[in-house]
Amino acid sequence: MADPVPVDLTEDEKRRFQEEALPLLDSLYGAALRMTRKPQDAEDLVQETMLRAYRAFDRFEAGTNLKAWLFRILTNAYINTYRKKQREPQKVSADELQDFDLYRELKNHDPQFSETPENIVLDSLVDSDITEAIDDLPEQFRLAVVLSDVEQFSYAEMAEIMDVPMGTVMSRLHRGRKALQKRLWELARDRGIVKGPSEDGHGGR
Amino acid sequence: MKERCRETLERAYLFIDREGLDESERRSIEIHLEECRPCLERVGLERELTLLVARLRGCSPCPEEVKARIARQLESF
Repeated sequence: MADPVPVDLTEDEKRRFQEEALPLLDSLYGAALRMTRKPQDAEDLVQETMLRAYRAFDRFEAGTNLKAWLFRILTNAYINTYRKKQREPQKVSADELQDFDLYRELKNHDPQFSETPENIVLDSLVDSDITEAIDDLPEQFRLAVVLSDVEQFSYAEMAEIMDVPMGTVMSRLHRGRKALQKRLWELARDRGIVKGPSEDGHGGR
Repeated sequence: MKERCRETLERAYLFIDREGLDESERRSIEIHLEECRPCLERVGLERELTLLVARLRGCSPCPEEVKARIARQLESF
């Protein structure tokens, strides 16, 4: 937990922080929960993020992107504090993704797929399936998918938040989405929504 | 796979995410999607999946007591 270091903000800056940063707590908490996967850790992480941000708020350039700035602090706090104590489940490993092709799996499973824009597999997935699938992703992929597809950050903002080049953002997002598709497909198979030919997680071909 | 299809699918995420393509590049993908059913389906599926994930937005709000605790802590400075 953060030490009570005094802050050096003007009254105006304090008021602006209350008015502009605090309303972003829901977004920050949602992302923190997907990062840490534990409500208690997510609470601590957003609290630490807000304290760090408050202390640094005099260095925030007014008129620039406050949400991206806060998410960068959140990401750094997560990497520095929480990541170390978490073990990655790695149900999806980075190198088994190369060949996964959800489109082909859906076509094989359901030849009518092309006739039905809404298909049975995607329709049957509920929000908790999607969070479960995201939570199973390796951390870098999880982060990219959450920042892009949940929080709708642009590639440039994500590069800033994750402190990596744009090409890395694109590759993590690409691989993260493919990994997520594989996990969703496996969940659908585990639920009996689709039938897979094997039980080992490599079915469908 | 035809060259046009390969190009389209390589750029599918840029297209869906509205990133990095200029107007004529977007237009040429749109034209291809109008005439190529498999590419249209693949791009449509990718788009549907991003929308599926987008549903999570706002579905885990910060608990009120955590918000209150943070607000109190900031005021104490």
